[in-house]
Amino acid sequence: MFSVAKADRRRRPAVGIGYRSAIAEWTRANLKCFDLLEVTIDHCIYGSATQRAEIFDFVGSIPINAHGIGLSIGTDVPLDLAYLDQVAAIVEQLHAPTYSEHLAFTRVPGRDLANLLPLPKTIAAAESIIAKVRTVQSRIGVPFLLENISYAFEWPDSNLSDADFLNLICRESGAGLLLDVENLYLNAQNHDFDAYEFLDSLSPDTVREIHMAGGIAISDDGLQRSFLADTHSHPVPDETLDLLEYALSLYSPQTIILERDDRLDETGEILADVARIRLCVDQWSKHA
Amino acid sequence: MDRQTRLLEYLTSREAIFGDVGSTSRNPLLQGFDRALLHIEARFSHEKRMEKIAAVFPKTFALLGDDRDAIVREFVHACPPFDISRLENARQLYNFLISRWENRPPALRYLPDVATCELAIAQVRIGADSRLAVAKRPAHKRPTHKRPTHNRPTHNRPSEIRRNPLIALLHTRFDVRPIFEGKWGDFSPIERVVPLAISFRAGEIGIFELTPEVFNLLAALDAWVAVDELPNAEGLIADLGEAGLLEERR
Repeated sequence: MFSVAKADRRRRPAVGIGYRSAIAEWTRANLKCFDLLEVTIDHCIYGSATQRAEIFDFVGSIPINAHGIGLSIGTDVPLDLAYLDQVAAIVEQLHAPTYSEHLAFTRVPGRDLANLLPLPKTIAAAESIIAKVRTVQSRIGVPFLLENISYAFEWPDSNLSDADFLNLICRESGAGLLLDVENLYLNAQNHDFDAYEFLDSLSPDTVREIHMAGGIAISDDGLQRSFLADTHSHPVPDETLDLLEYALSLYSPQTIILERDDRLDETGEILADVARIRLCVDQWSKHA
Repeated sequence: MDRQTRLLEYLTSREAIFGDVGSTSRNPLLQGFDRALLHIEARFSHEKRMEKIAAVFPKTFALLGDDRDAIVREFVHACPPFDISRLENARQLYNFLISRWENRPPALRYLPDVATCELAIAQVRIGADSRLAVAKRPAHKRPTHKRPTHNRPTHNRPSEIRRNPLIALLHTRFDVRPIFEGKWGDFSPIERVVPLAISFRAGEIGIFELTPEVFNLLAALDAWVAVDELPNAEGLIADLGEAGLLEERR
C-alpha cells in the first residue's frame, strides 16, 4: 500500500468549485474563497457566447482545471477527433494543467441519452478504453484523467471490481484518476460494497484530482430501498467527507473540486461545503 | 456496439421510462440486466430531458393541462433524444406537437401559436446572447474595425438599413400576445391573423404586432438597403430601429 509518509511529502491540494454560468456573478464576487475553478470544456465549445466569454474572462485571474462531459469515450465507435482537437485548443486557451473525462458512454450514433452510463467491467472493455486513452493523449497536450461515475445498473457480464477495472485502465494507459468521492459513496451504498476497501485497492499515484458533491435519496415502486442519486444538489454528506479524509491519508491529489449543479441559489451551502472540505485538508496536513 | 444501441433504445423507451408494455425488453441482448435499476436510469435521463424542454415551453406545458402526460408519452415514443442541447430537444417536441395538432387539434386552438412564440423566443435569446457577448467583451479583446475617417457620418441619419438578423418574424392565427404579458386563467385570445416580430433587447423579450406592410418590409430587408430607396420612411425607420427590429449603418 502507498505509505502515508510518502503522501505527506506532497503538497496540499488546492480547493475550488466547478464553475456554473448560473452563478457567474457570485463566483466572480467570491473568487477569493477558491484556489481554482474547474471549467466544463463542453460549455466552452457549445455554450452560448456569453457563457464562453464569462469563462475565458477568468483566465489569468485564477487557475483553471478542464473537465469534459461530451467525449463518450466508452461508445463502441472511434473517437471524434474533431471534437478532441476542439478540446485541445480550449485546454490550451484555459492554460489548464490537466484534462479529465468520465469513464462512461452517453450516446450511440443517432441516440444521445445525455447521461453517463457505465461500461461492462471486463478485460475487453478495458482494452478498448486503453486504446482510446492513447488517442486522447496523442492529441491533448496535458495529462488525461478519467473519472469514476455513479451508476444505477451494472452490465451482467462485468467480472472485474470497480477498483480493478480502474487500476487496469490507468496502469496500462498512463491516465490518472479523477476520483469522485461522492460517486464512490453512492455506488458503495447502492451496490453494497465497501468504499474504504475500494480506496485501499487503488494503485499508488493514481488519484490526481478529487470531486466532491451531495445528492439525494429517491424512492421508486420497483425498488425495495431508497436509491442514492448523484444530483449535485445538496450539501456533501458527512460520510463522503469521511471518505475524503481517508483518501487524503492515502493519496495526494493536486486539486479538490466541489460540484454543484442544482439549487445553485443556495450559495451559502456551497461556501459551507468548501469550508468543510478545507477543514478535512487542514486535518490531514496537521497529521502530516 | 449492438448491445449499447439496444440498451439506449430500451432506456429511451416508454417501457423503461413509464413501465408501459412493450417489446424492447424482450431483446436477448438485454438479458441479465436488472430491470428495476434500468428503470431508475431511464427515469433520471427522461426527467433531465423534459426539464430542458419545459424550460423552453413553460406556457405551452402549463396550457397542455391534463393532456400533458399522455402527450409526453407519445413524444417519448416518437422522438427519442439524439442531441444533448436544450434547443434541439425543444425543436423535437415542437415539431412533434405541430404534427400531432394537424391531425388532432388541441382543445385550446391557440396553443400552436403559443408554442411557436415560445420556440421563437428561445431562438431569439440565443442569437441575441451571441451578439451581447461580443459587445460586452473588454475593448482590448474586441476586434477593431476602424472606419476610415473620411467615411465617418456628419449627421445621425442612417445611410443603410437591414432587418436585425436576430429577430423572429412570424404570423399567429390568434392574438396570443396577452399570454406573454401575464394574462392567464379565463383569458381567451381573439382569433385573427397577427403579424409579429420578436426581439431581445436590454435583457427583455419584446413581442410587437406589425402591420402587414411593415411585416413585409422587414421580411424583405435581408440585406443592406440604401435609405434613399425608401422615400418618406424616416419616421418608420426611426421607430423600427428604436424597437431593435432594424439595424442601421451610416
